[in-house]
Amino acid sequence: MGNIITVEKLTKKYSTYKRGSGFKESLKALFIRKKVPVIAVNEVSFNVKEGDIIGILGPNGAGKSTTIKMLTGTLYPTSGSIEVMGYNPTKNRKAYVHQIGAVFGQKSQLIWDIPPVDSFRMNKAIYGISDKDYDERLKQMTKLFMVEDFITRPTRVLSLGERMKCEFIMAMLHHPKVVFLDEPTIGLDVIAKHNIRDFIHEMNKLGTTFILTTHDLEDVEQLAKNVIIINKGAKVFDDSIQKLRKVLGAKKIVELTLQEDLGTLDIPGTSILERESAFNITVSVDLDQISINEFMTKLSQQCSFSDISIKEMPMETIITHIYQSRDK
Amino acid sequence: MKNNMGAIKKKLNILWAVAVVTYKEWSAYRTHSMVSILVGPIYFIVQYFIWTAAYGGKTQLNGMDLTQMITYFGASTLIGYLTMDFADWNLQMLIRTGRFLTFALRPIHHRFFAFSQKVGHRVLGLVFEFIPCYIIFTLLFKVSLVPTHIGWTILSVMLAFLMNFYIHYILGMTAFWFTQSTGIRRVFDLLSGVFSGVFIPLVFFPQALQKILFFLPFPYMSYVPVMVFTGDFALAGIQMDIPVIVGIQGLAVCITILISEVVYRASMRRFNGVGA
Amino acid sequence: MKDKRLKYKGLRMRRYLNVYKECIKVAFASASTYRLNFILNCTIMLLGDIIFPLITVLIYGSGAGFEGWSVYEVLLIQSIFTMSTAIADMTFHGVMWVTMDMVRNGNMEMVLILPIDTMFILMARTFSFEGIGLFIGGLTVFVVAIINVSVPSILMWIQFIAYFIIGVLVMMGIALVMAAISFKWVGNSRIPEIFSNIRNFGKYPQSIFPKAIVVITSIIIPVAMIAFYPAAALLGRGNSSMFIMIIPCFLFLLFGIYLYRHMVRLYQGVGG
Repeated sequence: MGNIITVEKLTKKYSTYKRGSGFKESLKALFIRKKVPVIAVNEVSFNVKEGDIIGILGPNGAGKSTTIKMLTGTLYPTSGSIEVMGYNPTKNRKAYVHQIGAVFGQKSQLIWDIPPVDSFRMNKAIYGISDKDYDERLKQMTKLFMVEDFITRPTRVLSLGERMKCEFIMAMLHHPKVVFLDEPTIGLDVIAKHNIRDFIHEMNKLGTTFILTTHDLEDVEQLAKNVIIINKGAKVFDDSIQKLRKVLGAKKIVELTLQEDLGTLDIPGTSILERESAFNITVSVDLDQISINEFMTKLSQQCSFSDISIKEMPMETIITHIYQSRDK
Repeated sequence: MKNNMGAIKKKLNILWAVAVVTYKEWSAYRTHSMVSILVGPIYFIVQYFIWTAAYGGKTQLNGMDLTQMITYFGASTLIGYLTMDFADWNLQMLIRTGRFLTFALRPIHHRFFAFSQKVGHRVLGLVFEFIPCYIIFTLLFKVSLVPTHIGWTILSVMLAFLMNFYIHYILGMTAFWFTQSTGIRRVFDLLSGVFSGVFIPLVFFPQALQKILFFLPFPYMSYVPVMVFTGDFALAGIQMDIPVIVGIQGLAVCITILISEVVYRASMRRFNGVGA
Repeated sequence: MKDKRLKYKGLRMRRYLNVYKECIKVAFASASTYRLNFILNCTIMLLGDIIFPLITVLIYGSGAGFEGWSVYEVLLIQSIFTMSTAIADMTFHGVMWVTMDMVRNGNMEMVLILPIDTMFILMARTFSFEGIGLFIGGLTVFVVAIINVSVPSILMWIQFIAYFIIGVLVMMGIALVMAAISFKWVGNSRIPEIFSNIRNFGKYPQSIFPKAIVVITSIIIPVAMIAFYPAAALLGRGNSSMFIMIIPCFLFLLFGIYLYRHMVRLYQGVGG
């Protein structure tokens, strides 16, 4: 299948003003301001194929949101070009956004005081969806999400997870071919995350292309077919999820609270990442060399611990790994 | 005695620290101040022409001559910058979001903290609003803005500062009882606008109403210091010497402080009891 | 392809009307959910705006007044002003608050991803019934005032209505300029105060102001059209130069629309 999105040398620069504190500084700032240039996105190029789910991964402030804002046409690039389904998002915004959908995890499209179904009707009018299409589409999505019960309750009484489902429905009522998601699972509990991911998979099977940004590796692992990693405004990785797994290896991060001071940890495939104190350590476990089960057995033989938590690899570690693999 | 001195010194230190932080916090919003400089003069210009036209050939309206009237609105704007208060808004916000608890846990009375904040905020008002406006009024509009009795005026403005603070603090505490106190506060703002003399000197109201106003907090928030500024106080047909009315204002402030204490104690009982 | 585009444009008007209808429904639903709050806000708005007529009554009550204007004639100007404000509050003043809010919280994207004119949807979404009390209050004072002045002819009424509508457009211009400024001065709560103070010039007979100010209030920021000119038309005090005053009003509205659109584009260029 062909490319549905082509991005070339996308760059976004802007400048902010430095603000001083203190009496003298604020008095001075009334007259003189110091400009500080910021390069949020630096010559990023990539393609997205129709029917893909692509994850844009990166730490906070890496330029993910800026990129997705430019892709949705809500922010103009400084230079470079974007083409989505033959549209240039910067030109003719209204015609373009008619074709796409977007969900911003921390911003709501739903109207607070009224039930989601009334907000949906508002979008039906805005996008000019016919009654027949609207009914069909709403039925399909509410069934998929199992939200038939609560779309008639006022939005303010819904839980965050329920609200998020409704945000998705609202963004996809008009049958967009491409949907942009900015941190779609932020703040959600495990079950809600799972539901949202299922929904994305289902809609993807029906032909919708998804582009999502996240700083949660789990989102990417469970959803994306292809991954782009952005760090400090520049693209550092652009390949399939399988390739990413290869680079990162199957590593888990384990945080331990020990009951006694531990000298060295002698378990194969395991290394100590950080010692916050004698009793708090962070360990990385390579699942290709040792299973979690085996690791636990060996760990309990070597030391006694009062608390343990197993985590995904943090973004910073991922970035380090990628830089290392590129240097090799 | 020595202990007392230490406690006062400690309090002053806290006041200074909180005031400085508030000052710095707000000076980041420098455009607020720049815009504020315009708010007063534009309002003043309208008043200036309304009253100049209203006097026509007359020398006196309700015992005030045109010059006193113009000074009245100039001083009212300026004193407003010094005594303006947001304590009610801040407090109801803290209560509504549950952050009031963090103050209940600190070894400092929230009211004292809020007062220190106001001091910092209004010092900012003095520098960025009062002084520029004063210059605009005297140099550009040629309004004579020298108070007749400078000492009494300063005292009266300080009392108005306290009055504004305590009244708004009491207003903020209503949020312990009502989840939505916006309505109450808006009604109050409206009443205080009318009855504190911001829109029109109180001598223009019907006599009976003016008598009642003596027993309400509103005149002490703006009308009294402004009239003291002009050097001539009258309300409800009663002409008063400046020291007398400032004394009455002081009494009104004391009563308000007492009421605020009573309401505060009731609030704490409710806060600890209901956990509102 | 060309046919499709034409059809799209034809449907556009219908679609915008539909959107507006939905928005009014939502406003009604919101108002009825918070009934008490709604009634309270209606009342407060009414009381707040009735202060100006009250002050006029107090001034005239003290034996003073504006030369050549009876108290009822001044009340007529002020009641027209109140009605115009009420209509503005219901239909487009929200654009100011919502823009300020969105710029401060960085939520503008949520509107920009919709395939509809940004200014239109923000005005439509903030449609509010709360101004209705204010309108009734203004109308009441208007009726009292009109009974006490000489009966206007049909022609005067027609002139009045035309000027009144243009005055509402000036109000819209002011709201848009304010909203546009809030892009630059993020979170500045005092911008509306300035403009409300500027609008105050429109609440009084223009003859009390010096020439320089009248030039500003009728040509540069034509607040005189909000209430003074419509009232003058009703009172038969109009002259031919009043017709020309329509031009700066339209220019001011166009300026407001242009400035707002420009700031939205600038916002897209810089981002939140």
